[in-house]
Amino acid sequence: MAICKLFIRILKIHNAIPARSMCGYLQVEPGESEICSISYEKPTNVLQRTHKDLSDVTPFLSNTFNLAAYVNHSKTLQNLIDLNVNISKFEKKPYIIEKLLKLDFEKNMKSHIVFLSDYVNMEQMGEFFTKNPMIFCEHLEDLKTRVNYLESKRFSDSEIKRIISKNPYWLNFSTIRIDRRFGFYQQYFDLSGKNVRCLATTQPKLITYNLHHVKCNTFAIKEEMGFKDEEIKLLLLNKPKLWMINQRMLIERFNYIHNIMKIPHTTILENAGVLLSRVFRIKQRHLFLQSLGRAQYDPKKVNYVPIKALVEKSDVEFCNNFAKCDIDDFNMFLKTL
Amino acid sequence: MAKLCTGALAYKALNGLVCVYKPPCVTIKQVQHTIITHLCRDLNALPNGPQEKRVEIIGATNEPMSVCLVPNYADNPLACGPRFINEDFRCSWATHLGFFSSGVLLLGINEGTKLTYLLNTARLPRAYKLHGQLGKATDTYFWNGKTVERSMHKHVSREKIDRVVAHMQAAHQKAMYELSGVHMDSQTMYDLAVEGPIRPANSKIPVLYGIKCVHFDSPNFTLEIHAVNEYEKYLWTLVHDLGVQLKTSAHCTGVQCIRQGKFDLEYALLRKHWKLEYIVDNMNRCRKVLEENENLMRPISAVLSI
Repeated sequence: MAICKLFIRILKIHNAIPARSMCGYLQVEPGESEICSISYEKPTNVLQRTHKDLSDVTPFLSNTFNLAAYVNHSKTLQNLIDLNVNISKFEKKPYIIEKLLKLDFEKNMKSHIVFLSDYVNMEQMGEFFTKNPMIFCEHLEDLKTRVNYLESKRFSDSEIKRIISKNPYWLNFSTIRIDRRFGFYQQYFDLSGKNVRCLATTQPKLITYNLHHVKCNTFAIKEEMGFKDEEIKLLLLNKPKLWMINQRMLIERFNYIHNIMKIPHTTILENAGVLLSRVFRIKQRHLFLQSLGRAQYDPKKVNYVPIKALVEKSDVEFCNNFAKCDIDDFNMFLKTL
Repeated sequence: MAKLCTGALAYKALNGLVCVYKPPCVTIKQVQHTIITHLCRDLNALPNGPQEKRVEIIGATNEPMSVCLVPNYADNPLACGPRFINEDFRCSWATHLGFFSSGVLLLGINEGTKLTYLLNTARLPRAYKLHGQLGKATDTYFWNGKTVERSMHKHVSREKIDRVVAHMQAAHQKAMYELSGVHMDSQTMYDLAVEGPIRPANSKIPVLYGIKCVHFDSPNFTLEIHAVNEYEKYLWTLVHDLGVQLKTSAHCTGVQCIRQGKFDLEYALLRKHWKLEYIVDNMNRCRKVLEENENLMRPISAVLSI
């Protein structure tokens, strides 16, 4: 792992961590601006007894590699941990930490959490903020408008809940961008309004996904695999995840299923899930069935094995139901590949 | 199977040799990474003891202060990250297996890296199954290459393959004596040669001890090879040479390592079994094999140890 050095300037985070002063010699006063004034007081004897309350005098916090060093001093971070947010995930992204430490829990975070609790389950809350801590930097008004936008597009309450909890980044996108993306999907795949709503609910991540990647995968599915426009629409609504996987992997899987196993397009369309399984899984089960003489995927003939059986269920169930043999035989076969 | 109580204890127990089955078209680096990642995942899922407490002395300094015990947030896995990460493990292989090869692969984990070093220098013989096809030659000598030649292969029979293969083996046997590092005409050489096959002194030049055709179904055939210091590309060229000597052409369609020293396919862990409990179990089995066969790691003579 590339160790990424966190460079956190303590002086900038005075909101989260109370200001500290150094034993009367060097006083650091966090000012309004970023530049702090350093003033030297009249030197006094260090050994001199004092009756003043010095409990606010603490050692200076140094630069650190991770947030665990600060967590005992910052109420904000402690609250986040109590919410089950995995703050160790932010270590690799110093820009997040710099923004996050400047926030105050009561002022900036509480209202966001209360607002989001209407849409995200309490158990998923930690995961939500782990994925997208930058949501605290968005204005609450903006978040409200973005939810209102979804309502105006006639999404039901349960659908909005699903969209927001499944895709934590959704609320970071402005309504203009989301609207443009809805427009893109509607036009590019020739979808009706209802279909777009269905797509956004089943796979909210696809709407905010990299559109170049979506176009590349559409090219692969349409031109390289040879599905027709109508079939692509069906695939998109059934398995939108196909548009989020690596194009090379997708082609490799299709190539194996269609060209080597000789499965026609219609069967693949009905069981689009096979395209989401890694190629070695399909390969080892197919070769095993072939060695037993059971690789028969035509439903009109005897000893039919559904194509789904190659990707679903554990190996034990596969052996019992379709290969009709012991799991040890399958394991032995795997050691000959 | 051993019971594992806490992550820290399990981690301390993870020192030794594992024998895994490397699938084809995966690099050794990927195999190592997958195994280490799975180990970390399983170790982190084990119970890891209670969270630490920290002592805080609070209150104004000019009045009596109070001491209290509060939970230490810095010890929470949510703040400091998971207990075990990939960098906590060292992992090395005993002998390299190429990208397209599959089969038995010995990996050392943590203290086991020392064992892999010893196994590497002990030059254990490895047994391979080499699948080939007659009638086509490629530029890489493997199935993934560009076809450079096609030829008839009807005249090739099992007997002809056997004859050529026996000739190749005899040629390599002479090389074995030359690479032993002892003068050919000396008494020492004679004493060594009486005892059986000899290990090479050098780690660079491949030495073949036995070649045998175990399966022939024209145009496909399978060779079984026992060798030391071999590498993937060298085995491919063997198949190519065989094709030339048979007055046709051939390319390799698969390389599978079926045995290394005492470790055969029976010990090898399949990809779906790369989990903590199986790995610990496998490690114990491998340790037993090493204890029973001292000469695997520290051979006393130049005679080939199996």
